[in-house]
Amino acid sequence: MKTRVLFSLILALPLAAHGALVWESESADLHPSLQDKDAVAHFKYKNTGDKPIKIVSVHPSCGCTTAALAKDVVDPNESGEITATFHIGDRSGVQQKTIGVTTDDKPGQVTLLKLKATIPQLLKISPTFLFWAPTDALDPKPITVTVGGDFPVTKLNVTATDKAITTEVKPGPGEKDFRIFVTPTESGRPINAALKIEPDFPKEAPKTFYANVRVDSRAKAAAKK
Amino acid sequence: MGRVLVRQVLFLLGLAFLPAIGQALYYRGTVSWQQRPVDSAAVSVEEAKNWGGAVLWVDARAEEPFAKAHVPGALRLDEDGWDTLLPSVLAAWSPERKVVVYCSRETCNASHAVAERLRHEVQLKNIYVLQGGWEEWENKK
Amino acid sequence: MTALPRSKILERILAIIVGAVFIYAGFLKARDPVHFASDISNYQMVPWSVGVRLAFYLPWLELVCGFALVLHRFFSGALAITIALLLAFLGATAWARIHGIDVSCGCFGSAGTNLTLAWHLAILAGLLLASIYLWCTRERVRFA
Repeated sequence: MKTRVLFSLILALPLAAHGALVWESESADLHPSLQDKDAVAHFKYKNTGDKPIKIVSVHPSCGCTTAALAKDVVDPNESGEITATFHIGDRSGVQQKTIGVTTDDKPGQVTLLKLKATIPQLLKISPTFLFWAPTDALDPKPITVTVGGDFPVTKLNVTATDKAITTEVKPGPGEKDFRIFVTPTESGRPINAALKIEPDFPKEAPKTFYANVRVDSRAKAAAKK
Repeated sequence: MGRVLVRQVLFLLGLAFLPAIGQALYYRGTVSWQQRPVDSAAVSVEEAKNWGGAVLWVDARAEEPFAKAHVPGALRLDEDGWDTLLPSVLAAWSPERKVVVYCSRETCNASHAVAERLRHEVQLKNIYVLQGGWEEWENKK
Repeated sequence: MTALPRSKILERILAIIVGAVFIYAGFLKARDPVHFASDISNYQMVPWSVGVRLAFYLPWLELVCGFALVLHRFFSGALAITIALLLAFLGATAWARIHGIDVSCGCFGSAGTNLTLAWHLAILAGLLLASIYLWCTRERVRFA
């Protein structure tokens, strides 16, 4: 870890010599909690030159990240910050996004602010889609649900949006796993259903997870028999 | 001096070999030794067009650019609205179809992120990313 | 050549720094050889079959040489390999730049300069200079 400090020192020194607008840090490492809808990073800067600098554009890499600027002209010796808000949505795991900033003191050059957010994954569902082709027997198929981190999930409540789909939850292979056995019952029609999977944690703000089920019509196959 | 140097170099080269072989043996079942794993399967606009109706086009961009213009018949699917948008894609999918995901251009990441999730979470086969993205599709019209 | 400033302490410190960097870098890569193989493949310099084997070997070579430098054992040999590796890494980075290959693959697109590339090169160059200095000032031993 000595080397990491050494690295960041080596990296920081030339940054200071690079241009009038100096950034406190060009990367942010965020750890939003389970209930958070957004992950916010503050990228602070300071104008160390003697001329005002105009921030020409702030361009996030994707629509999920918005960047707000208090004001776009930075006077000499003035500090400010860009607030980057990353909307978590249905994402999980490690997400890396960038925000490109251009200023008028360095035309044509882009400073890339890096945002890394580690989104806690309450449940990992695998697979999120089960499919029965017309020729497949209507045997049960499992979905494995793994509880992430130390989250205290003890029960899963599973409901299907179609009554022809039955589910049974059994404790899974690992200590923190569950297995949902999904069985379609005979019906002459194609089924396109969703499974709502609700863990018993967190109680105050329960999250719903989804899996999808599709059973293609066996009417043709049955007619052939 | 030269001989000492050569001996030292050979010794170190050989020493590093041992754990490397050990690790390679440990990974032998899971690593592809011949070809890059098809994980980042990309397809050109021409090839995808040749597949005709077998293609299920998936647009990984935001609502606005999608509403303005998209590949005829394409369905939108992005990470922000994954849970809401996925069911329509799954309803349109079938095992014989090839899914081609695109976003604005070659260097955008959304198409790769969506393709990865379709491969690993949804576990669909035949997932491709369009080389050059929407920009390339427009060029090749 | 004899005009090089010498200081045994400085040499020891430099050797430990270069060695530590190699140990750290080797450790990071050895943890995930498949990811490293993918990185090598992005440079498009060697075919996958070659790159994947390099991905399993190079990290351990870095670790071994790093330790040799820090412990001051097999020093000349480790230095020779270190210099060769640094030249190879610098060459590969320059190759990627010339061929316009964006190995960092950010989703920002065709933007201007990539700051981290410049500093990546600067660090490699710094290590190379330190290693060459150590090479020039190393003790010539008459026994193994």
